[in-house]
Amino acid sequence: MWGPAMLPRPLACAVLVLLLTSGCRDREITAYRAPKDPVAARPGPAASGQLPSDHPPIGNQTGGDATMANTAVPTGGDNLTWTAPAHWTAKPASAMRKGSYAIKDGDAEADLSITAFPGDTGGLLANLNRWRGQISLPPLSQDQLQANREHVDIGVLHVDVVDFAGTANGAPARIIGAVVPREGETWFFKLMGPDALVAREKAAFREFLGTVRPR
Amino acid sequence: MSPLVRQFRDFFVSLKLTVWLLGLSIILIFWATLAQVKIGIWGVQEKFFHTLFVLETIPGTAIPVPVFPGGYFLGGLLLLNLVAAHIYRFRLDWKKAGIQLTHLGIILLLVGELITSLRQVESNMRLEEGGTMHYSESYRNNELAILDTTNPEFNEVVAIPEAVLSDGGSLQHPKLPFQIRIRDYHPNAALQMRDQVPGAAPALATAGIGPRVAVAPLRLTYKQDERNAPAAHIEFVGPEGTLGTWLVSPLLSAPQKFDYAGRTWELTLRFKRYYHPFAITLLDFAHDKYPGTEIPKNFSSRIRLKTDDGRGDREVLIYMNNPLRHAGLTFYQASFEKGDTVSILQVVRNPGWVLPYVSCVMMGLGLLVQFGIHLFGFVRKRSAT
Repeated sequence: MWGPAMLPRPLACAVLVLLLTSGCRDREITAYRAPKDPVAARPGPAASGQLPSDHPPIGNQTGGDATMANTAVPTGGDNLTWTAPAHWTAKPASAMRKGSYAIKDGDAEADLSITAFPGDTGGLLANLNRWRGQISLPPLSQDQLQANREHVDIGVLHVDVVDFAGTANGAPARIIGAVVPREGETWFFKLMGPDALVAREKAAFREFLGTVRPR
Repeated sequence: MSPLVRQFRDFFVSLKLTVWLLGLSIILIFWATLAQVKIGIWGVQEKFFHTLFVLETIPGTAIPVPVFPGGYFLGGLLLLNLVAAHIYRFRLDWKKAGIQLTHLGIILLLVGELITSLRQVESNMRLEEGGTMHYSESYRNNELAILDTTNPEFNEVVAIPEAVLSDGGSLQHPKLPFQIRIRDYHPNAALQMRDQVPGAAPALATAGIGPRVAVAPLRLTYKQDERNAPAAHIEFVGPEGTLGTWLVSPLLSAPQKFDYAGRTWELTLRFKRYYHPFAITLLDFAHDKYPGTEIPKNFSSRIRLKTDDGRGDREVLIYMNNPLRHAGLTFYQASFEKGDTVSILQVVRNPGWVLPYVSCVMMGLGLLVQFGIHLFGFVRKRSAT
């Protein structure tokens, strides 16, 4: 008669060895040579595709779900191109920005940011009020929205242009911005800086907007 | 045969053991199914099945204690039991051939499952139409990649698994002229621009985008369609002192660059990459629907497979239930993105992939043979009377 005392030690040893050898691989640092990433590589998250409802399950995942999840900060694609004026200095791209420029005039500096996000990011009103908040302006109501924005058509793009003057850090500041909805995303072009500098750049900004094209 | 050896043999060969093991397996699977609600499929695989023992911590401490045999224990013992019984009761008698074959098939199935659970690696390859990929990415594992991008033809990569980051501390690799110090690490964190989070703690990072980003640690998610995005602060230290501290996270859309020792470097925390000795180009992704409806009929990717050594260059059509098998890997049509221009292939490396097929054939054959023998005998007896 056998009992708990006859536990299979040889088996446990064998499986343990197998486990240890596969576990160590988790912490192995590897070094290798790799080809360069393609220049237009988009490391973005893969959105969920719709597999047919009778598609057989893939691996050990339920049907319809072989996705790389939604990240906490999804950004839009690269659907638009533009040409910046010569006197705008390009700044290195950052995590959130599709494009970034600095406009300097002596000591004053204005910042142009180009960002894109999926969906309508809360709607035009919410975003304009967010900008207004950045230069300490009161938020607009829905009825005031129409009076405070200018609708422009640039090629196939519908653009809403705004011009807000307020204060930031005690000094007069200005935001001239454009909101461009496009193919399930919304693009924001925002020029922000000291009031005088931005007012001078307004024409250049409008010209820059005119060069924005779908890719 | 000494009584001790006989006891061992009786234990491993006994049918009572089989029944016990099957009963315990039922309990394990039921328990795991209930646990899946909270910790998801991956958590359950690791806690209940890919382990010798199910561990629970003593409440109030972090001390793990085995409370129930796990998948490897029960499966392994079952395998041993089956093999022992097979050997012990083996009779070179063709009348038993069917049963022998069936049992061998079951043994092979268990062995195949063990190999799969230990050695299978799954990854995915996201292909844009016209784009070429040399690598596939892990679904869940991340790595810190430090690339020497000086050479215009290729990158020299040092890839540090996330598990090493979570260990913390410092490390040195012979290919890197600086030491790596892991300042902190969060298994899941959200990133926000610092100017939108007024009360954030001062930035740990001194270089790259880190100083402008605030890190908010989050709880781990076990949901299958959500991803844990780790964040870490990495400091590089050279002989003259620190080179700076960078924030890394897969949420940052581009690698961060810096120069040191006459070489250009890039730093990124990304999904673990598996580079392959070939390149796959997506020529066309087709999403066929039944005419006049929106009901999908077929998903297929026409790809071009080109091996690096130049010897192979062919077009292949991958579609549902028709994967590509190449170089020990299997490529399945797994998913796609809206717009029908991006195809996602699931890439599976499983050295034991053939075993379930072989074992099913063996079991089928074994049962056929066994029932055939009985049927024959029965028919002969009937016609004899």
